[in-house]
Amino acid sequence: MVKEKFSNNIQRISKDWRAYLFVLPSLLLVLVFSYFPAYSAIYHSFYDWNGADIEKFIGLDNFRRAFTDGVLGRSFIVILILVLANFVKMVPSIAVSVVIHRLKRENWQYLYRVLFVIPMIIPGIVWLLIWKFFFDPTFGILNKVLEVTGVMSLLQWIDSLAGWGLFVEGVDPAWLSTPQLIVPALIIWGFPWVGVVGVLIYLAGLSSIGTEVYEAAEIDGIGWFRKFLNIELPLIMTQVRLNAALMIINTLKSYGLVLVLLGVSGGPAGAGMVPGLYMFRKAFVDQEAGYACAIGLLIFALILVLTWINNKYMRVDH
Amino acid sequence: MYSIGKKKRSFVSESVKHLFIWLILGFSLFPLYMVFNISFKDNTQFYNQPWLPTLPLNFENWAKGWDNIGQTIANSIFLSVSATAMALAFGISAAYFFARCKMPGWKIFWAIFMILMLMPGVANLIPLFSLLKNLNLLNTYFALIILGTSGGQVVTIYILRNFIEEIPKDLFESAQMDGAGHLQQILHIVIPFSGSIISTLAILRFIFEWNSFILPLVVLRDETRLPMAVKLYQIEGAYVQQWGPMMASYAIASIPLILLFLFTMQFFIKGLSSGAVKG
Repeated sequence: MVKEKFSNNIQRISKDWRAYLFVLPSLLLVLVFSYFPAYSAIYHSFYDWNGADIEKFIGLDNFRRAFTDGVLGRSFIVILILVLANFVKMVPSIAVSVVIHRLKRENWQYLYRVLFVIPMIIPGIVWLLIWKFFFDPTFGILNKVLEVTGVMSLLQWIDSLAGWGLFVEGVDPAWLSTPQLIVPALIIWGFPWVGVVGVLIYLAGLSSIGTEVYEAAEIDGIGWFRKFLNIELPLIMTQVRLNAALMIINTLKSYGLVLVLLGVSGGPAGAGMVPGLYMFRKAFVDQEAGYACAIGLLIFALILVLTWINNKYMRVDH
Repeated sequence: MYSIGKKKRSFVSESVKHLFIWLILGFSLFPLYMVFNISFKDNTQFYNQPWLPTLPLNFENWAKGWDNIGQTIANSIFLSVSATAMALAFGISAAYFFARCKMPGWKIFWAIFMILMLMPGVANLIPLFSLLKNLNLLNTYFALIILGTSGGQVVTIYILRNFIEEIPKDLFESAQMDGAGHLQQILHIVIPFSGSIISTLAILRFIFEWNSFILPLVVLRDETRLPMAVKLYQIEGAYVQQWGPMMASYAIASIPLILLFLFTMQFFIKGLSSGAVKG
């Protein structure tokens, strides 16, 4: 049997070896540029390595160091807060897609889809730099908006009760240079947090609900929120879970955001330092590439565990 | 009587929905409005009236903005187009292999790609950098294009394989009878039949490359070779703040994608809405 299969295979290969030429380029690319670096990262995480000439085996020292590194520990807390905030930041996309779906006229639905795509085509870096400008204490728009809308006086009132000393009359809060305000700024940016890919995917999920379901619900006198809980949410739950899983992974991996807004040190007192940025900084600023690889592997392991939990316990079923 | 009341209520509820959407939309597009608004102001105009457009419009801001990043836009276009084209060319042929040629070993090859889907490439950056250094590819466009190409493989192959498998087999078989090789089958059957998903993938790939920031930041050294994203990041911190020219350069950096979007809107929205790109 085995022998027969083997000779069959040989026959097929000699007859049509050209087919392999079509997969070969892709295969070589991922082997060289994905698998080899991954292997190299694992290998070097056991080394004292500066990325160039110094390369000395030190066993688990990098990992031991990582577990006692206060900066790294705090960076994981920051990223945890950002992940939790990003769960809340998923709500506007869901709300927008549900409201668009409930509109009676299809041409309005189409128009709104188009309009919500516009933010996506602005380059990410431009988006971040605009927000960096918004956060500027004197020239930035954020403080002006807060003043015009009266939110600033509310914040000042809360501050006078809580005694933070962050929002005081006559002083413009400096969002990106006050350590206590950095994490809030990392959360606020991108307001109102409508992600167009999310909206379009939710809308795809919602599109299977017919108008008759809504009419029936209306006859039964079900309110708009019950409609959401009983009709719409169950239908998009698959997409919500998928987006949540992707969001967690992307947040853990991401550091471009902090790099652009706060620089490579994560802002004053490193208050906005995230694990990815710490890895980047260790490798490219402090020349500690081996330690950086170990940090990268820790982030990697965390994501892997979360992916596993997600696959095991959050099974997407209809 | 009853039906009139119902109509009225439905009109009110529709209006509330529209109002909600316009409010969110207003907030979402506000930054964009401010970019274009401030791009025509000099600093004095901006300090006095940041919200509304003021006269005279300072068109020289746009000229200065263009001086800042015009070159880098050309660089970005070159990089994004090359990486997108190569990622799709390789991706299509590999997807064809997986969909049509069940050659010995294909399962292993498939696993090699699919494992990458589950592996977040976060620790890779540093070894990748040293690999490029050893290959003498630092400060070259080739490095960025080849990395963009390889980075685009897994998702492209995964999505396209499904689409190619759904093309009727008879088409391929009759083409084979006529003596068409693999390449002809790709050119005459695969590409025409999965054109819309290929264009969606191309647009998404292009946007991804256009936004690429960290890799060019660490790979490129030459001032003149930088893509738009890295250049914007550098000039933002480098000069005494001239908000008008700065905002004009942000606006200029957005225009190519806006143009792309205007021409490909249908593909884009259809592709994303069909959920085909969920991965």
